[in-house]
Amino acid sequence: MNCHEAGMLVARYTDGEVDSLQRHSIERHLRDCPACTAKHQDLLALRTQIRAEAPYYAATPALRERVRALVANAHDVAPARPRADSDRWRWLTGGAFAGCAATVLAWVLGTAVIDWRANEDVAVEAVTTHVRATLNDHLIEVASSDQHTVKPWLSARLDYSPPVHDLANEGFALRGGRLDTLDKHRVATLVYRYRQHTIDVFVRPESARAPSALRTVRGFNVAHATSQGMDWLAVSDVSPDVLTAFVERLAGADTTP
Amino acid sequence: MPEQTRFEELVLPHLDAGYNLARWLTRNVADAEDVVQDACVRALKYVGSLRDGDARAWFLTIVRRAFYDWCGRNRPAEIARDDGTAIDMAIDEAAIGPEQAALKSSESRLLADMVAELPLAYREVLILREFEELSYKEIARIADIPVGTVMSRLARARGLLQRSPLLHAIGGRSGGER
Repeated sequence: MNCHEAGMLVARYTDGEVDSLQRHSIERHLRDCPACTAKHQDLLALRTQIRAEAPYYAATPALRERVRALVANAHDVAPARPRADSDRWRWLTGGAFAGCAATVLAWVLGTAVIDWRANEDVAVEAVTTHVRATLNDHLIEVASSDQHTVKPWLSARLDYSPPVHDLANEGFALRGGRLDTLDKHRVATLVYRYRQHTIDVFVRPESARAPSALRTVRGFNVAHATSQGMDWLAVSDVSPDVLTAFVERLAGADTTP
Repeated sequence: MPEQTRFEELVLPHLDAGYNLARWLTRNVADAEDVVQDACVRALKYVGSLRDGDARAWFLTIVRRAFYDWCGRNRPAEIARDDGTAIDMAIDEAAIGPEQAALKSSESRLLADMVAELPLAYREVLILREFEELSYKEIARIADIPVGTVMSRLARARGLLQRSPLLHAIGGRSGGER
């Protein structure tokens, strides 16, 4: 590979958008090419700086209030769907939504097939649990960034002792833990913060009913790893590669204390 | 499942993501709130047709659509100026608008301000990539453009930011063309 060929591939490589073959050739090129390596470093530096300096704006309380009111009003209005025999007014206003509807339709067609069969497994349950905890503001029952506080709290309430590690120095800060039910068993849930994202990690004794290594459910990624008789199941909206690396790091943490 | 419940379970968890996008696109709180509220009205209406696919990307698509509709009503000039195709054709630096010229000369400007001043077509792909960490393919679907265009717009956005002297001062790399 020469620099010309490497051109666009450097950005794609930095964004994690290359296949294993491309990864191999670009990494080999980067080893011998200072110019392209500098380009790669620049992109990484820019990303770091954007994430450090440009704020992630969380929804304002006022907006949450307005949306809550919106949903409540929708409750009051009878859920009567507009009938097909819509009148002229409906056609006119409907026009405003037509583009939106077309996008939605294309989306649904595209994703429905892939997600069809995977409806009733542990990954889906884990995401549902994560969402419920987020919505009910019930993320944490024992709040502590100290693994020596969280672990005994969990162990006292379970028939096993989950490994707990704070990885704050790697960007994954332990915020606490709680108890959940997953696959009909009580499990330990560790809550981590990664940048503006929350990560739930379900830790349980190894189970036959484990999902594949990586799944996407309702826009959340679910990553899974197993080590030494324990299962780690991480749920979050962070990118799949970050989540996979994190869950594998957690599973490996016990072997290198 | 009734629409409201589906909305609460599927869409509400992504309200922050939707607001963050709207906030970066509108560049102010009140307008971002209006855009997201409008998006929620639409999401409530159509959530019945959303399968267990990617609810976040689905909602972001609606937020973006709501933003452009809002923008068409309130700031039509911005869409005309920052229109994606027109921008993509303006390869030459000379063709870059006064805003970007100002951006280039900004010694003391904060990076966040520079991101906010990127042309719309670049800003949206950059926000979706760097904050939501979405894949090229997902961004292409949300912004309704080909994957190749996602890549070129990302490259242009990053190029504009990297040209800033501020970044080099902080990034600490001395080599390379300025």
